[in-house]
Amino acid sequence: MTAIQARATHVPSPARNLTFVRQLRSEWIKLTTVRGTWWSVGIVAVITVAIAFAVTSAMSGPVDNIMMAVLMPVQLTMLIAGILGVISVTGEYSTGMVRSTFTADPVRGSVLAAKAVVMAAFMFVVSLVVFTVAAIGISPIAAAKDIAVDWADPAKTILPILAASAVMALFALLGVGIGFLVRSGAGAIAVTVGIMFVLPIILQLLGMWLHDLPWVLSMVDYLPTSAAPDVILPSDGGALNGPASWGVLAAWPAVALLGSWAVLRARDV
Amino acid sequence: MITAEGLGKRYGDKVAVDGISFTVRPGSVTGFLGPNGAGKSTTMRMIVGLDRPTTGGVTINGKDYWQLTSPLTEVGALLDAKAVHTGRSARNHLRAMAATHGIPNSRVDEVIDITGIGSVARKRAGGFSLGMGQRLGIAAALLGDPHTLILDEPVNGLDPEGVRWVREFVRHAASEGRTVLLSSHLMSEMSQTADHVIVLGRGRILADAPLSDLVRQWTTARVHVRSPRAAELADAVAGRDVEVVTTDQFTLDVTGLPASRIGDIAAERGIAVHELTPTSGSLEDAYLALTGDSVEYRTRAVPQTDAALEGALA
Repeated sequence: MTAIQARATHVPSPARNLTFVRQLRSEWIKLTTVRGTWWSVGIVAVITVAIAFAVTSAMSGPVDNIMMAVLMPVQLTMLIAGILGVISVTGEYSTGMVRSTFTADPVRGSVLAAKAVVMAAFMFVVSLVVFTVAAIGISPIAAAKDIAVDWADPAKTILPILAASAVMALFALLGVGIGFLVRSGAGAIAVTVGIMFVLPIILQLLGMWLHDLPWVLSMVDYLPTSAAPDVILPSDGGALNGPASWGVLAAWPAVALLGSWAVLRARDV
Repeated sequence: MITAEGLGKRYGDKVAVDGISFTVRPGSVTGFLGPNGAGKSTTMRMIVGLDRPTTGGVTINGKDYWQLTSPLTEVGALLDAKAVHTGRSARNHLRAMAATHGIPNSRVDEVIDITGIGSVARKRAGGFSLGMGQRLGIAAALLGDPHTLILDEPVNGLDPEGVRWVREFVRHAASEGRTVLLSSHLMSEMSQTADHVIVLGRGRILADAPLSDLVRQWTTARVHVRSPRAAELADAVAGRDVEVVTTDQFTLDVTGLPASRIGDIAAERGIAVHELTPTSGSLEDAYLALTGDSVEYRTRAVPQTDAALEGALA
């Protein structure tokens, strides 16, 4: 009798089930409750602000666009974005957390999607704030040198900041994809650094050595680190046009995420 | 209800689980018993979809785990006490798990209270002792107030109070009509907790029976007898289906006769009896009898020389 009554009280509340929006919330909690995330944000902020101030202070005479001072450090901070993407995944594998994650949500692809969405949104917003603050911060120094931060012209300020923030988000996604593919933190960081900083050097050296094969050198243009400056502050000298550069930047994380989706479905946690 | 049919898992050449079929019914505690490497954990991991079966399948109330619309309220699993990010606090870990199902923070605080980890809930889980980590794992399993509990070695690392708590908790959960599957290598624990036992060895089911049946079937009742005329008594009780082991001049172990009958025989012949102790089998005996040939990681027997025994007794 009591057993039957007790059983009746344990019908699950229909409100308590798994949804994608709830998974986003869970991934948000996971991302913001480990120190590594805030260390990464802090390092991005410090590097950006420090370089922006140093470059602005060293400037003399007119410049094409002062935003270069704020957005040039992306060449460094995009590595932090990639590494944060990596450790958000490999931290789960190394600690065993991933088993809890996949027990709460057994659909592998939806875990991957939730993590990717949250990571991209987080990195985009963090970058947007950091770049905007840095741009406002350097304004007085620039003004003292008769250089204006031209907020009136979106193409000179707002669009480059948005583009740079998107680039940061894309590199974080590349990290998430590599993290799921490699699973080991050290291995995944090595692969990420390899793609971002080692591959360009190797291709350039190969290109110089194999100068009969110009396509080797032109492969450099299809690396994400080469495409990034072209979309942030487009110049006429860019190797690829705008849409092509965006395509390159998006293709790398897309391939990494699709690859990780395929292996996640096939392999045991 | 958990139903496995022809469930098998192979890692490369190694068969971890060899096409097993079993049913875990609601309203009772089912124990998974087996030596290390018998396939208990692998089977549990397959139930919750972490490992994919190479053959057959397993369902929970008729559905594959990944088809459940609400995994945490249907199944609470403790598979590995270390399934927690070491850098995150216990409470935040539980909040993140709960958030996937819209389980409110009030329930998070409730399971923290139930499992007694309130004092460390805001500390990073990486610094937890084995026992605290185990309690956190149990707290996570309870978040969704699930119908089915799957607990891999739940008392591992717990203090006696925690062990008793887990025992009472799973008995209570079963009495409420929930399905409980727990594994343990502690046979004493299993004999106090489980109603039904599935014994695994080398990936196969060696026995699947109610605890009492298992003990009765796989152990033999023995009577320990001490008498000054032991040899005479041994001859008197000897017969078909009766086995007598003479330990020393005054001691016999008789199998196949009840203590009362041995006492009567001794009385008929005027043989004094100093001790007449029936010993019934334990789950441990049943387990050893069953798994004798299927222990994968066998320890070498401790050499029992007379000197060693004397040393131990001194």
